[in-house]
Amino acid sequence: MNVFSQQLINGLTLGSAYAVIAIGYTLVFGVLNIVNMAHGGIFMVGAYIGLLLVTEAGMGIFPALIGAMIGGAVLGYLLELFALRPLRRRKVTHLAPLISTIGVSIFLESVALLVWGPQTRSFPSTISSELMDMGAFKISGIQIVSLGTAVVLMVLLALMLNKTKIGKAVRATSENIETAGLLGINTGLIITFTVMLASALGAAAGVLIGLSFNAIEPTMGTAMGFKGLAVLIMGGLGNVEGAMAGGFILGIAEVFSVAYGASTYRDAVAFGLIILILFLRPEGLFSKAGKGGRP
Amino acid sequence: MEELLNGYFLQVFVFICINIILALTIYMTLCTGLVSLGNAGFMSFGAYTSAILAMKLDVPMPLSILCGGIVAAAVALIIGIPTIRLRGLYLAIATLGFGEVVRVIALNMKITNGALGLSGIPSMASSLSDYASDLGLIDALGLDSQTAGQLLMCIALLILVVLIFFFWYKLEHSRVGRAFAAIKADEYAASLSGINVVYYKMMAFLFSAFFAGVAGALYAHATYFISPTDFTWHKVVDMLLYTVFGGSNVMWGPLLGATVLTIVPESLRAMSEYRDIIYGLMLVALMGFRPDGILSYDAVKYIARRLKKSPKGGN
Repeated sequence: MNVFSQQLINGLTLGSAYAVIAIGYTLVFGVLNIVNMAHGGIFMVGAYIGLLLVTEAGMGIFPALIGAMIGGAVLGYLLELFALRPLRRRKVTHLAPLISTIGVSIFLESVALLVWGPQTRSFPSTISSELMDMGAFKISGIQIVSLGTAVVLMVLLALMLNKTKIGKAVRATSENIETAGLLGINTGLIITFTVMLASALGAAAGVLIGLSFNAIEPTMGTAMGFKGLAVLIMGGLGNVEGAMAGGFILGIAEVFSVAYGASTYRDAVAFGLIILILFLRPEGLFSKAGKGGRP
Repeated sequence: MEELLNGYFLQVFVFICINIILALTIYMTLCTGLVSLGNAGFMSFGAYTSAILAMKLDVPMPLSILCGGIVAAAVALIIGIPTIRLRGLYLAIATLGFGEVVRVIALNMKITNGALGLSGIPSMASSLSDYASDLGLIDALGLDSQTAGQLLMCIALLILVVLIFFFWYKLEHSRVGRAFAAIKADEYAASLSGINVVYYKMMAFLFSAFFAGVAGALYAHATYFISPTDFTWHKVVDMLLYTVFGGSNVMWGPLLGATVLTIVPESLRAMSEYRDIIYGLMLVALMGFRPDGILSYDAVKYIARRLKKSPKGGN
């Protein structure tokens, strides 16, 4: 039983970070109907910004997290300006934004490789990695920070989307962009805002994953970006609550598959799950009608 | 002539041919508006199947390459049944996931030799040169057997590329091709006019997977060594780039894209660390300025008209 609850905690910690990544994908999909393949790249750069703020500027982990989020938002702005906005001006197929954002992700990854080198880096051990005994399970300081931050971010996001005016505008734009525009919402601004918000969340997830895996490298964006995509499919495209739940499901599924056997297949778990889900429920586990996968 | 026949140039030519086939496989699915990102997975199925058949069971090479393609198509059928009905982006992500799963499986299986990969795969060049020397061709040409083998491989690949190109060209200008075009233009309207959308999409998907498998098998026999790192996400990006750069709406596009983008990095060896940065920027710029690639439908028509005109002008 102890092993089980311990793995559950590990899975929740990992899953919370996955959920934060996937929310970034799903927000952008909601307003633009595109899959932002550059999200993994921004996630990776966010992790590096957080790392550099801690090691070079000597900041604490929370200021560094906020710094990384600001950096992520700036990147998101540039992404929207250079890779997405030009495509909106003309009628293009859904292939164009996919390829354009793939281009951005390759660019970010290769720049990171050039600037920071291929070696794996890790956060200095400022936060205690000592395990605290909570009876049924043990939890480390890093895990508390990671899980807590992710949950706080998700709660804040949910509050913002549901209670504030700008959140309402984001939801309206994602429901139907033309109608939102007719109702006086500046949809261009909302799109920029959403991409920046999603990128800030991606960067935050980068710091969290960097902390809990204690490994930051240029290729982490691609691997983690793919898992975010898996969660996106699981939760249903454009569905924020679905992405949250999907993130936790994937995190727990991965940790348990490692704990009970197939550790080398860890990276295949995510996509094994989505192929299974696509067989059973192609519109995603939590999808509402309308935004689903059926034509 | 002697200089052109050196091993390096011949090797580059071999890669151009393989890359053209890969670019065409992306084009084939795009013909029906499908974005499939799993072609590296199909490629690795083809490569491993052909390599294992040729190494362990001594299957003759043409047959093993064909088997590679068939296995890839069979896998595509299994993957396609649930996913082909999905809307564009779902299919892109599902096939991308498929590619990753295949890579992880290849990393963990014994028969694929895990991360170390398979080495000592029978070489296409040497088997062709053996065949030719049996016929007494090599002495007639006055070349050493290694160069002759490579040259023969180039010729064989060129013939194959021409055949595949011609096959798809014919298909595109038949009833099937018109159905593809109708589906690409408007899936809903196509289904209302009695076109079986799923059937034709599946057909394009299977052809694409088959040729990706063949290309993978050719790659295995051309390089004698394959490992899971040969079939990563970056391979898919390369293929996409060939097609999208050249022009994703006309058949000449992938041809041009694969040729140019195989030669340019070779000639810019000194800048190889910046290659991916340039590729990334190029993709973004292309989509912003010319989302249909260098060769669009209008550009091809224009060139064709000019080509028709110029002989007349000469007279």
